Amino acid sequence: VNFTIDQIRAIMDKKANIRNMSVIAHVDHGKSTLTDSLVSKAGIIASARAGETRFTDTRKDEQERCITIKSAISMYYELSNDDLAFIKQGKDGSGFLINLIDSPGHVDFSSEVTAALRVTDGALVVVDCVSVCVQTETVLRQAIAERIKPVLMMNKMDRALLELQLEAEDLFQTFQRIIENVNVIIATYGELQGGPMGDIEIDPIKGTVGFGSGLHGWAFTLKQFAETYAKKFVKPGEAEPTSEEKAKKVEDLMKKMWGDWCDPSTGKFSKTNPDGKFVRSFVFFVLDPIYKMFDAIMNFKKEEIAKMIDKLNIKLDSEDKDKEGKPLLKAVMRRWLPAGEALLQMITIHLPSPVTAQKYRCELLYEGPNDDEAAMIKNCDPKAPLMMYISKMVPTSDKGRFFAFGRVFSGIVSTGQKVRIMGPNYVPGKKEDLYLKPIQTILMMGRYTEPIEDVPCGNIVGLVGVDQFLVKTGTISTFEHAHNLKVMKFSVSPVVRVAVEAKNPSDLPKLVEGLKRLSKSDPMVQCIIEESGEHIVAGAGELHLEICLKDLEEDHAGIPLKKSNPVVSYRETVQSESTQTCLSKSPNKHNRLFMKARPLEEGLPEDIDKGEVSSRQELKIRARYLADKYEWDVGEARKIWCFGPDGTGPNILVDVTKGVQYLNEIKDSVVAGFQWASKEGVLCEENMRGIRFDIHDVTLHTDAIHRGGGQIIPTARRVLYACQLTANPRIMEPVYLVEISCPSDAIGGSYSVLTRRRGIVFEEGNITGTPMHVVKAYLPVNESFFTADLRSNTGGQAFPQCVFDHWKILDGNPFDTASKPGQVVTETRKRKGIKEGIPPLDNYLDKL
Amino acid sequence: MRVVALISGGKDSCYNMVQCVEAGHQLVALANLRPENTDELDSYMYQTVGHQAIELYAEAMDLPLYRRTIQGSSLDTGRDYSHTPGDEVEDLYQLLRTVQKERVEAVSVGAILSDYQRVRVENVCTRLGLQPLAYLWRRDQEELLSQMISANVNAILIKVAAVGLDPEKHLGKSLAQMQPYLRQLSKKYGVHICGEGGEYETFTLDCPLFKRRIVIDAMETVIHSADAFAPVGYLRFTKMHTENKDTRSLPSPIRTLRTVVI
Repeated sequence: VNFTIDQIRAIMDKKANIRNMSVIAHVDHGKSTLTDSLVSKAGIIASARAGETRFTDTRKDEQERCITIKSAISMYYELSNDDLAFIKQGKDGSGFLINLIDSPGHVDFSSEVTAALRVTDGALVVVDCVSVCVQTETVLRQAIAERIKPVLMMNKMDRALLELQLEAEDLFQTFQRIIENVNVIIATYGELQGGPMGDIEIDPIKGTVGFGSGLHGWAFTLKQFAETYAKKFVKPGEAEPTSEEKAKKVEDLMKKMWGDWCDPSTGKFSKTNPDGKFVRSFVFFVLDPIYKMFDAIMNFKKEEIAKMIDKLNIKLDSEDKDKEGKPLLKAVMRRWLPAGEALLQMITIHLPSPVTAQKYRCELLYEGPNDDEAAMIKNCDPKAPLMMYISKMVPTSDKGRFFAFGRVFSGIVSTGQKVRIMGPNYVPGKKEDLYLKPIQTILMMGRYTEPIEDVPCGNIVGLVGVDQFLVKTGTISTFEHAHNLKVMKFSVSPVVRVAVEAKNPSDLPKLVEGLKRLSKSDPMVQCIIEESGEHIVAGAGELHLEICLKDLEEDHAGIPLKKSNPVVSYRETVQSESTQTCLSKSPNKHNRLFMKARPLEEGLPEDIDKGEVSSRQELKIRARYLADKYEWDVGEARKIWCFGPDGTGPNILVDVTKGVQYLNEIKDSVVAGFQWASKEGVLCEENMRGIRFDIHDVTLHTDAIHRGGGQIIPTARRVLYACQLTANPRIMEPVYLVEISCPSDAIGGSYSVLTRRRGIVFEEGNITGTPMHVVKAYLPVNESFFTADLRSNTGGQAFPQCVFDHWKILDGNPFDTASKPGQVVTETRKRKGIKEGIPPLDNYLDKL
Repeated sequence: MRVVALISGGKDSCYNMVQCVEAGHQLVALANLRPENTDELDSYMYQTVGHQAIELYAEAMDLPLYRRTIQGSSLDTGRDYSHTPGDEVEDLYQLLRTVQKERVEAVSVGAILSDYQRVRVENVCTRLGLQPLAYLWRRDQEELLSQMISANVNAILIKVAAVGLDPEKHLGKSLAQMQPYLRQLSKKYGVHICGEGGEYETFTLDCPLFKRRIVIDAMETVIHSADAFAPVGYLRFTKMHTENKDTRSLPSPIRTLRTVVI
């Protein structure tokens, strides 16, 4: 079915019938094929091609790699009256608009996932029912933190039946365990029941768990089976029940069809299995028919097949009737339990509409006071002022230009409208990072875009004319006093970097322009120009970088590139308090700063990363938090000057002076010096991490003119470096959590590779019901370019998956050039083209 | 009024003299405080680098020059100043007292924004019954610098002490050459364009009031403190002379003889 823009626009007004959702899953858990069965049911491509063409893989390299990256699509789906009765939230007619944001499954791209989550309210979490992965956990954690309601899809059931040949009860146990695992994650990062989002625990008896095979195009929830059986139980001659009555009956039946038992001879349900004669009701009612169908078709039992097809009332096409074996199985299953139907029902019934979701998401999204006009996004009101969040930039076919992609939370955004474009550094009342420009609105559908006149709140839209003003993300509003919508926090950091240069030096301008475009089009990649003139691209991992560089070479810059080997980013920290109060004098010798450094409390840098403690927090709340959790002095906690680098990083500058004159006048200059120093530490100009700097005293020239930025900024930087040098400085390296799945005979090989590379194994286990084992370990990122090594040691049987986990101090003294951190310092300085050796303290420290 | 001009050798004291003359005053003498045994005192009050060439000012302007060696130091560094024996401000008092025999009524001062200097000069002037003349006071710095350049005040940088200014690169450059870069620094770090915060000091080689121009034949760069981000350095003149402004001399090649690190 195709829809015209006008039709789609009409549905957009029915905000109770909109579902903004994303599909999140581990790479290769069959997400894209599943997505396509949705699209084939509701959207634009024909059913025959579902499972083979991947509608969302718009890029060639994605199709080849089978990693889907950037796409969104709108679908229309209509529920029958009977199905509408299942919906517990507000509804407005039977037609539903489903905006599906596809996101990549590979961990290296979880920044993309974050961007997708921001604009959605619900998520279809796809797991492979034969293995669960670390990626799923990372993403689910992010989703819960953003207050995204999940529903679950157990994919690849065909493999469980055909390849692993699991017994029905074992398969039930596997499902049960996966559901428990998922609920543990939900409970850890949110509240299962009674939280702001209500009940978000996933449970088959509620219909929030789907089962099936995306590749074969079939899926079901308990609802589908309960409906079939409910019909059978209707006694002839009884009056046709209402939709509500039917729904009630089906829901009651679903409650009994999962963990309960039933007597196979009578069909009576029981909570227990007293004499071991009863069968699990899920097995009896659901799995048995499916197993029988599989058995009949795969073993070519022609008569039985015909009987079952007839009994289940499955209509096959004439061409399908001649098929045998697997192709027939696919055709039959697809007719019997069409995946699109089951999933779209699950989505429309159980995922929240913008109206429902924005009520509880508003407080997490909006930075301003919760009672101003912009905070009315909790009402999702098209008559309210416009509030929209831009979550990413999507490259257009017009080279160098981008669509700004995002979600309208309140008001209406329309073509020609003049809006306030607010970047992440915008502060209400100031003019920085604020632009007033007219925009154009477009509808984005997979690889197509269509101009559209306006789009009301609750919907997802692309904007033209914003890309010059926003780097990656931002807020669009028409309300003059609007604050920003919160900037997204990424769960991964760009810890791997390469240096690039143009093969042909005259292409340098193209390279610079290309880097600008790259940094716009990817939410997380960082493009940095070092002081040495080197161009650095930093990403989350090897694969992420590889794709970024390919984009850069072929798309954004369009020139041949020379690339260095990947290099790891380090951090600089301190281990103890400065041995002395450090003094630096300003160039005119008339101003003196006295400071000390010390390590931040354990866990605090991570809290800052997560945004639990942040620069934008209310002062008193932050002070209370720091006092309660980290035993800070409340007075000092209230005198935090800033965080850094970039105003948000995990280092803190605190004013602990007692009544110093003019101190506030130099605050801006000291903060500027601190941002600079914390971005480029003294050891090798890497970011600092986990350092607290205390300003103990300052003496200043009485005349403001002699204590300007020109005097104070360099002085602040020098004294901060002196503090770092006297506080037992250390180098930190990033550490991955690596998960290797392999058969038992390859475990030895995996262990030996990990140990050789300073890996620490902390968990090992068998995946129940499979011959596969999972080894979990912490592995320094620096040692992680090891896929080849691992392959050769395990005969290619081990599959590693890495995700950034934490920063760890690299043991040893960085001043000792023979030690590991010493080597890191030497290499990094050399690479950056800065003078060899850590500069001596007297460069920074002055005598009284 | 009969005016004595306090001169440091820099552009501000020089341009203020120009303004005095334009306002109809009569310059009758020059006064300068010089350091003892050193080039740079890091004084709160006075510019001392370039003191070697001050004698040539008298020659260039054809006026009597009164000089005194600074004996005091910065003792009272508060916002206000009261008579403090042994403070460097008292040296100014002594100097101006000597100049009074020239029957001067006013003092030309080149301060622009430094309240510290203003308060102290006013203190000394009140005590001596003299009128301070500060035509540059509170003027917009960017505009002022442009005016000086277009008024043909030819001054070169002889000391730098601020982030972004590099002794190796910027010493010896003229105001006109530095103007665009100073504007940049002002935007980026809040450096004062006219160097009022002690960011840099200048020495005037020529201006409309000069009858002869000053020519530096030889000088050396001295690094005062090798700070990591804002190294401080200045020029020490070792050989210089004045010459007739009519003679169309070639622009004298200024050569740095050697770099001395203290």
